Amino acid sequence: MAQPISEKKRIYKLHKKNKVKLSGWDIAFNVFNYTILTLFTVACIFPFYYLFINTISSNELVRLGAIQLFPKEIHLENYIQVLKIDGIAEAALVSVGRTVLGTIWTVAGCAFLGYLVTKREMWLRTLWYRLIIVTMYFSAGLIPWYMNLRMLGFVDNFFVYIIPGLVSPYNVILVKTFIEGVPSSLEESATIDGAGYFTVFCKVIVPLITPILATLCIFSAVGQWNSFTDTLMLMPSGNYYTLQFLLYKYQREAQSLAALVRTTQDVGAISNLAIKQTALSVQMTVAMVVVIPILLVYPIFQRYFVKGIMIGAVKG
Amino acid sequence: MNKRWLTIMLTVLVLVSMFFPFIQLHPHTQLEAELSAQFPSSLSGYEIMLSDVKALPVDSMPSLSILSFQGWAFGLGLILMLISGILYIINKKSTLYIAIISALSSVLVLFYASLHLQNISNTLVFQLLLTIQGWAWIPVVLAALNAFVVFLDLRHHENVSITSVAFRKIGGVLCLLSLLCMLLPHVVSGVPLGFVDDANSVQAMNQQENLWTSMMGDSPQLSTIAKDNNVFADVLTADLAELESLSGDATNIKGIFTIKTNTASIDILLLFSILLLLLAGILSFIPKVDKWFPLSISTIGVLLIAIRVTSLLTINAGDMFTTAAKQLAYIGVGHVTIAPIVLLLLAICAALSHLLGLQYSDSPYFENPLPEGVRIRVVAAALAIISFVFLMLPTTTFSFYKPGMTKVQSTVELYGLGTVIGHEPDNILHPTDSKGKLLYQEEEKGNGFNDASIETTMSGLLSQIQWVTILSAVLCALGIIALLMKKDKRISMTMFLATAVLRIVHWLIVSSGMPQNIGTANGTALLYVSIGTLVFAAFFSNFAHMKALPKKYRLFLMMLPFLVAVFLFSYLPLYGWSYSFYNYKFGLPMSQQEFVGLKWFAEIFTNVGMRNNMIRVMQNTFAMSGLGLLTSWMPMVFAILLNEVSRAKFKKFVQIFTTLPNFISWALVFSFAMTIFSLDTGIFNKFLLSIGAIDQPIAWLNSGNHMWLKMWGWSTWKGLGWGAIMYLAAIAGIDQELYEAARVDGAGRWKQIQFITLPGLLPTFFVLLLLSISNLINNGMEQYLVFQNSMNKDTIEVLDLFVYNITIASKGTSLYSFGTAIGILKTIFSVTLLFGANYASKKLRGESIV
Repeated sequence: MAQPISEKKRIYKLHKKNKVKLSGWDIAFNVFNYTILTLFTVACIFPFYYLFINTISSNELVRLGAIQLFPKEIHLENYIQVLKIDGIAEAALVSVGRTVLGTIWTVAGCAFLGYLVTKREMWLRTLWYRLIIVTMYFSAGLIPWYMNLRMLGFVDNFFVYIIPGLVSPYNVILVKTFIEGVPSSLEESATIDGAGYFTVFCKVIVPLITPILATLCIFSAVGQWNSFTDTLMLMPSGNYYTLQFLLYKYQREAQSLAALVRTTQDVGAISNLAIKQTALSVQMTVAMVVVIPILLVYPIFQRYFVKGIMIGAVKG
Repeated sequence: MNKRWLTIMLTVLVLVSMFFPFIQLHPHTQLEAELSAQFPSSLSGYEIMLSDVKALPVDSMPSLSILSFQGWAFGLGLILMLISGILYIINKKSTLYIAIISALSSVLVLFYASLHLQNISNTLVFQLLLTIQGWAWIPVVLAALNAFVVFLDLRHHENVSITSVAFRKIGGVLCLLSLLCMLLPHVVSGVPLGFVDDANSVQAMNQQENLWTSMMGDSPQLSTIAKDNNVFADVLTADLAELESLSGDATNIKGIFTIKTNTASIDILLLFSILLLLLAGILSFIPKVDKWFPLSISTIGVLLIAIRVTSLLTINAGDMFTTAAKQLAYIGVGHVTIAPIVLLLLAICAALSHLLGLQYSDSPYFENPLPEGVRIRVVAAALAIISFVFLMLPTTTFSFYKPGMTKVQSTVELYGLGTVIGHEPDNILHPTDSKGKLLYQEEEKGNGFNDASIETTMSGLLSQIQWVTILSAVLCALGIIALLMKKDKRISMTMFLATAVLRIVHWLIVSSGMPQNIGTANGTALLYVSIGTLVFAAFFSNFAHMKALPKKYRLFLMMLPFLVAVFLFSYLPLYGWSYSFYNYKFGLPMSQQEFVGLKWFAEIFTNVGMRNNMIRVMQNTFAMSGLGLLTSWMPMVFAILLNEVSRAKFKKFVQIFTTLPNFISWALVFSFAMTIFSLDTGIFNKFLLSIGAIDQPIAWLNSGNHMWLKMWGWSTWKGLGWGAIMYLAAIAGIDQELYEAARVDGAGRWKQIQFITLPGLLPTFFVLLLLSISNLINNGMEQYLVFQNSMNKDTIEVLDLFVYNITIASKGTSLYSFGTAIGILKTIFSVTLLFGANYASKKLRGESIV
C-alpha cells in the first residue's frame, strides 16, 4: 500500500514544482486552452438546453423569438399534448422494441460468432472468417440492398430492424480480439470437465468478455435508437414508425402537423396562445422526447466507450 | 431489499401511467358542434377505470351505451398489484406465494383490459371513432416486469421451494383452461339499433360465433340468416339513403352482409392443435411420463394455434375493418373478440410453465431420448424424409401472360405428388385468367400460340418434370431405406446426392422449359430448400456409424446459421448488380426486363444532363470529404489540448459533454439547427441583429450559400469530441516515464508535446487518415438528407443522397438501373482506394490497415 501513496506525493511535488515554474507563455497558453475548451463545451451543451427551455416556455413567446437564455412562462402543456398525438405511443414502443431486441440479437450473435472463429479446429475456418470480414469493405449499393430485402419479405416488416443486424464484421473482430486475450487454460479445464462448446461459451467465455459486450451493447443500442433512414425506405405502408422517424417526418411536414395537433387539443385551450400548439412546438417537444432517454442513460454508459475505443484501437 | 424498491417503483409507475391518454376520440365532422364539444379529446386510464363508458356523453347519445371499456379491469389490476407489493414487502413464506399469484393475476387482468380496449378501438360507433394509444399497454408491461422481479426474488428465497412437479401441474391446468376458451365467442356481429325497426330481426342478426363451432364448420352465415329473416329488405332498401349519409358509400354497406364469417369446413389445423393441447394437459398429471413430452407437445400446440389465431385475426381485420374499410364497422356491425388471443396466451403460458418445470427438476437440462449410437442416423433420416415430403409438395410455380402483354394473368402451383401420380392440372394445360376465360384461344393468334399448341408445349414440359420427380422420389426413398437398414453409408450418400442433382436438373428444366412469351416457371422455396436438406442428409449419413460428429464439423454447423445470414444480407444483394444492365422496371420478372447492356454506364459520361449532374454531385462529395480530410488533425489537437488541462474534474467534464453530440441522430441535430438558426425566431439571428453585425435576418438553413462549410461545421460539432477519445486513449498508452525523463532533462510543455505526445499519436492519426481517404466517396446520406431542401439541393447532394433521390425518393420516375450502375462504380472506386491506402500504409509503415 505504501507504494501508491509515495507515488502520489511525488507527482504532487512535481506538480507543485511545475506550478512554481509557470512562465508567461504557459499562463497565456492556459488561458487560451481553457477558453477554447470551455467555448466548445458550451457549444455542445447549449443546443440541448436551448431546445429544452423552448419546449417549456410559452409557445407565443417562442413564436415571437423572445426566448433567449432563460425560459419564460413555464408550462408543461407541450409534453401533455405530445403524449396525445396519434401514433406516438406506438412509435415509442417500436423504438424501444427495436433497441432492446436488436441489441440483444446482434450482441449475442456477434459474441457467439466471435467465439466460434477463434476455434482453430473448425473446418475451413480461415475461409469462412475471411468471407465474413470481407463484407465490411464492399456494399452492393442502395438499390440491390433494397430489392434484396424486398425479395426476402422484409419490407413493411418489423423484423427488418432486427434480423439483418445479426452479423456485424467489425463487432466480430472486436470480440475475437478480446477472446484471444483471455487465457485459454480456463476454457480447457471446462472442456476437460465435459462441457460442450455452447456450455463453455455461456459459462466461461461470456463472464470474461463482459466489458467488450457492454461496449457493443452501447454502440448497437445507440445506433438502433438513432436510426431513421431504414424506416424511411423500408416502411412504405406507414407501419412500425419509430420516434426518430416521426421527428424527421414532423420536420418535413410542419404545417399539416400543426393542424393535426390543433384538432386533438381541447377547444378551450386553443384560445390560450401560450399553450396553443404550433408546428414548431410539437417538433421541438418530440425532439426533446427523443433525446431524453439518451440523456438519462448517457452518464451510466459513458465510462464504457473509452474502453471500447481502446480495444478497437488495438486492431486499428 | 433493492428488489422491493423496484416493486414499489413499478407499482407507482403503473399508477402514473393511468393518467396517460389511453383512447383517442374522433367525433364525426357531421355531428353538430354542440354535441362534438361534449366529447373529450382523449380518455385516460384513470377516467376509463372510474366512469367507464359514462365518461362519454351517453345521455346525449344513448347509442354509445353499447360500448363497454371494462374499466373495472384496470382497477382490479391496480389493486392486485398493490396487494402483491404489500405482501412482497411483508416477505413471509406464505405471503410470498400469494404475492406471486396476485402479481401474475394483475398482469392477466391488465392485459385483458388493454386487449379489450384494443378490441373496441378502430371501431367506428355511429358517429365516433375510437383509437387506442400505445400507452394503454404500458401498465401491462410494467406489471409483467413486476411479476418477473417478484419471481426472481422468490427463486432465491430460502424458505420457498419451487418444484418441477408444481410447474408441470400448473402447465396442465393451463392447457385444459385454454381448451375452455374455445367456447368463448370469437366473432360478434349484429345490426345496430335504430336501423331495423323489427326487434326480431335484430335478435336474429345478433350472432356470436365461438371457435368450437367455427372449427367444426357448422356456424350459420350472416348473409343466410339475413335472407331468412328478411333483414335485407329492412336495412338495405328502406334505410339505405339514411345510411349513405352516414357512411358516404352505400355499396360498401351491402358488403357487410355478404362477408363470410366462417369457412364452412372443419378447421384441421385448429382441431389438431386442440388435440395436442388436450394430450399435453392429460400427460402433465401423469407423474411417470417423461417430462419432455408435455413440453414438446404443448410447444407444438402453441405454434399451431399461433398460426391459426394470427390468420383468424388478420382475415377478419382485413375483411371487416380494412377492405370494406371502416365503412363497415361504421354502422356497428361486428368485431373479432379477444378469445383467440386469450387461447393463444394460455397455451403459451402452459408451454412456459412446462419449461420452468424443466428448469427446476434435478436431472440435467436435456436428456436426449435417443440412444447414443443412432442419433446421427436419425438426424440424417429425418432430413431425408423432410426432403422427400418437400418433393411431394408444391415444387414449381407457373405464371402465364396474355399474348403481347407483360402482366401476369394467372399463377399455378404444381404439386410434386400430383406429378408423380400423373395428374396434369387443367389450368396448366389450358391456362385461364382470373375470370375463367381461356388465355390462348384459337382466334387470338397474337404470337403464334393457341390453346392446342400450349397444351402440347405444356404437356411436354410436364412429362419431363414427371420423370425427374419420380426418379428423384425413388432415389430418395432408396437412400432412406438403405440408411435405416444400416447398409453401407456410401449407398445412401450417393442416393441423396443424386437426388440433389436431380432437383437441380428439375430447376433447370422448369426455368428454361417455358417459351418466354407465354410465361415463366420457377422453382418454389421448397425446391431450393430441399437441395440443401438433401446435401445435409448426405453429410450426416457419412457419419451415421459414429457416436458423435467430429469436432471440426460440429463447429462448422454452429457457424452455418451465421454464414447463411451473411450470404443472405451481404452477398445475395450482389445479384442486384445485374439490374444495371437492364432498363429495370419495378415489379416485372427479370425475364421480361429490357436488356440494355452497358447503356447506363455510358450514359454517365455521354448524356450531357447526367454528366453535369454527376459533376455537380461529385464536386459536392469531394468538397465535403475533402474539408473533413483537411481538418482531420483537429480531434488530435483537441485531445492534446484536453490532455494539457491539469484539473481532472474540468477535463472529465469537457470530455463527457463534447462526446454527447456523437450519440444523437442527425434528425435531432437538424432540430437543434432549426431552433437556433431559424430565420425569424432563432437565437443566432437575434444575437447578430442585437450586436449590429447584420441588418436583416439571414436564412441560414434555406439557402445554398456556403453549404459545404455549414455541413463541415455540423459534422465537426458532432464528431470532434468523439474523435478525440481515440487520441486520448492513445495518449494514455504513452509511457509516463518518457515525460518524467523529459522533465528531468528540462523540457518544457512545448517540447514535451513536440517530442513525445505528437510522435506517440502520429501512427493513430495516420491509420485514421488512410481509412478516411478510402472512405472518400462514402460520406453517408443521413446528415445531408435531413438538411436537404429545395433551396440548397444543388450544393448539398452528395453521391449517396443523389442515388437515393433519383431512385427510392422519386416515385414513378425512378432510375433504378442508373442508381445501381452508380453504386457499382462507387463500390469499385472505394475498394480500389482502400487497397491503395493499404498499399501506401505497407510501404510507409510496414503495416497493413485492413
